Amino acid sequence: MATNHHMTRLAAIIALALVPPADASAQDQLAIKGGRIIPVVGEPIEGGVILVRDGTIQAVGTDLDIPIEARVIDAAGKVVLPGFVEPHSPEPLVQANEVNPNVPFVTVVDAIDPNATYFEEARRNGVTTAHAIPGNSTMLGGKSAVVKTSGTFAEDMVLRRDAALKISLRPSGSSSRMSHLARLRRELDETLRYMRSLDEKKAEAAKAEADEERDEGAEDDDEEGANAPQEEDEGQGDEGDAPDPSAEDTEPDAQREALVRLLKGELPAFLYCEQAMDVPQALRLIDEYKLDAVLILGRDCYKAVDLVAGRDEPVILDPDLVFWETDPRTGEDERVVLPRIYREAGVPITFQTSGVSSFSASSLGPSYLWYQAATAVKYGMPPEEALEALTLRPAKMLGIDAFVGSIEEGKDADLVILTGEPLKLGTWVDTTIVDGQVVYRRDEDSRLKELLRPTEDDAGEG
Amino acid sequence: MRPRRTQGRCPAPPIALALVLDLALALAPRLAAEEGDVLVRAGTVETVEAGPLSPGAVLISGGKIAEVAASIDPPEGATVIDLGADATLIPGLVDADLPGGVSGPAVEITREITPRFSPLPAVDWSSRAFTEALAGGSTAGGIIPSSDNVVPGLAAVVKTAGPPGEPRVLDPDAGLVITVCSDPASRNRSRTRPDSIYVRQPTNRMGVVGLLRESFARAARGVDPDPDVTVPSAADPYEPLREAMAGGRPVLAISRTDYDILTVLRLAGEFGYAPTILGGQEAYKVADALASARVPVVLGALRVDGPYGPERTELAWNVAGVLHEAGVPVALSGGDLLEQARFAARFGLPREAALRAITIEPSRVLGVDGRVGSIAAGKDADLVALDGDPLEFTTAVRWVMVDGTIRFPRPDPSQPQED
Repeated sequence: MATNHHMTRLAAIIALALVPPADASAQDQLAIKGGRIIPVVGEPIEGGVILVRDGTIQAVGTDLDIPIEARVIDAAGKVVLPGFVEPHSPEPLVQANEVNPNVPFVTVVDAIDPNATYFEEARRNGVTTAHAIPGNSTMLGGKSAVVKTSGTFAEDMVLRRDAALKISLRPSGSSSRMSHLARLRRELDETLRYMRSLDEKKAEAAKAEADEERDEGAEDDDEEGANAPQEEDEGQGDEGDAPDPSAEDTEPDAQREALVRLLKGELPAFLYCEQAMDVPQALRLIDEYKLDAVLILGRDCYKAVDLVAGRDEPVILDPDLVFWETDPRTGEDERVVLPRIYREAGVPITFQTSGVSSFSASSLGPSYLWYQAATAVKYGMPPEEALEALTLRPAKMLGIDAFVGSIEEGKDADLVILTGEPLKLGTWVDTTIVDGQVVYRRDEDSRLKELLRPTEDDAGEG
Repeated sequence: MRPRRTQGRCPAPPIALALVLDLALALAPRLAAEEGDVLVRAGTVETVEAGPLSPGAVLISGGKIAEVAASIDPPEGATVIDLGADATLIPGLVDADLPGGVSGPAVEITREITPRFSPLPAVDWSSRAFTEALAGGSTAGGIIPSSDNVVPGLAAVVKTAGPPGEPRVLDPDAGLVITVCSDPASRNRSRTRPDSIYVRQPTNRMGVVGLLRESFARAARGVDPDPDVTVPSAADPYEPLREAMAGGRPVLAISRTDYDILTVLRLAGEFGYAPTILGGQEAYKVADALASARVPVVLGALRVDGPYGPERTELAWNVAGVLHEAGVPVALSGGDLLEQARFAARFGLPREAALRAITIEPSRVLGVDGRVGSIAAGKDADLVALDGDPLEFTTAVRWVMVDGTIRFPRPDPSQPQED
């Protein structure tokens, strides 16, 4: 579970514990006071205080003493939420899809652009954690990473490396669904064979070692243990030399490592289904290969909602939550409201902002995660659930709920301070905090000011 | 204004009426309601022109609004729809540039000057565009010929639901559309296959404006047969331009950039027409000029992502707010009007102006404000029932009424209907 990110933090905490307290630690204390805190887990706290130390939430409550050295953010009249979590986004990547559709060995960490517009928009809209993942056009797209939305280097932003393997059931290039699926199965089957061959090699190696030991044991008996210490040294020497070649044989090579981990259940699959017909195929793959999988459902997949309901797992929906379809036979136009359909089927949903159809009439809202949640509320989702779908639910889905997704003691200090009640028209993100650091302030957002109030310089020609 | 429709020409379809009755029966005490008056009560009635009423009631008779008041006693036999305290009743929305209602290209591309052409014959009355607009609360919209011609033709105003054809036409001639941007020049070439129709003027903005000037000048000279613009009918093809110069016909100018908008104003000064800007994405840069010329702006669909459109128009989120503050009447257009008004309000357009921008302002621009655009006695019973505050993202449309009949949602065909 421990990631680089947290190991570093742990090291820092240990270091601080070992050295005498210095002034440096004072800068890393933060207190947010006076706001309405919606921790997502548990009841909202009116006029509460959140104490943060070294990027971690130390305490949440009403009667807390604020350390004198802590930096205080006054949130009176505002609302504090856990930072939002986007469970699926190729947008942080320089290029969302590899040309080669079969690249399970690549990692998005090599392609994340910390200066991508996505991250700026994310901070502006309260998203503090994003699952950076290859796009939907590659069969085995590579290893994803969960990142914080603020940082200078991709490595610094990583909360969890190798968070999942992206698998897309959308045929890549000009291939058909038949060949796409056949190829995917072939890759998986070959990996299974490869794993068996590794196991066999391992068994052989173990057997050989055991034989050697037995032989050595026999020698020991013969020589009556006179040279025992020397032999021990020799034995150690053997162990030191021998494992090198044998480990190379029994450990998966770098090209296959991701697929091996996938099939061992160590690496979750994020499976994209473009059409409803892909859903049963996905479920069959999950069942046959015992995959730990999350489904990303294209908008057509609502037709297979009953199949998905059987899994009892949250899914990631297409950004076009409401769209129109024309019946090919009757010509009747029908509005499809995805949040309502999934709610009625009992399938928990989460949202994403990537891949908004440029043909959709409302190209305004779907690029905002909070807007997706507001749309779900509009069509019947309780507001509390909508906030959970922005925070804790995707965090659990990504297996990072020990760190983010709610305002709780011990979790990362990823917080959003809103100017008012969440999902309201006039509410803006006032401050975004990632790991205890303020990464966005509305009153310092010059780009937003420019968009809302174009300057006179621009209007000069008029 | 057209005469009030008779029941014979525009009967309330029985299916829709049955839905009204179903709703009413579910929500109100059983009344001996047959065909007749409908009383709608809501926590809030946004009349738009006379402020909000909380609570409010609207009496509908013969497809028209008969009475608007805080409280109305239901007349004998009237159906009562009580929407509840949280609900808001707003006027049917008017989309001054309703996208997608025309089948095929919305312009005759073989010629640049087609002032008498009307998009009405090309309107597909069962187009999904109307269904989508209706579901979003739009009950009327402008059909604007597209910007591929310098003078593409006349704008028409239609209802988004009802019997197809003429009964849905609010105004077949709501203004002359002219194009003052680079669009007409985008396909034309100075050289290509010699038989191509695109070897023609204009190939740039100078050509666009030149053709416009020529056309207005020619119209001013009177009947002047020209083989390039003659239409089969004997009437003078330049008549609409002449009427515009005489002040009798509004001009809708498709224009997006600041310099094109200034050209519209300059030409208006030269030829004396009264323009409205359609598009207007960069209108915020010339807001004061527009305000002093009293020129309204119908903004095209708002975008938040980046420079867009054929001219890579600069992005600003609060165009509507800046224009409103400068005193320019603003309408929003291009589909999904409620959502657009919500974002416009979020970005800085005052609440009241945001509601006006999707109701009365576009109605005025199209000259149909006597019929639609607000909740007032005598106007068409085009109403939208909302779950809550119109300017919240979490508020859903409950139903949409056009000419006194609930048209959205459609009745469930699997349910038995009264005939």
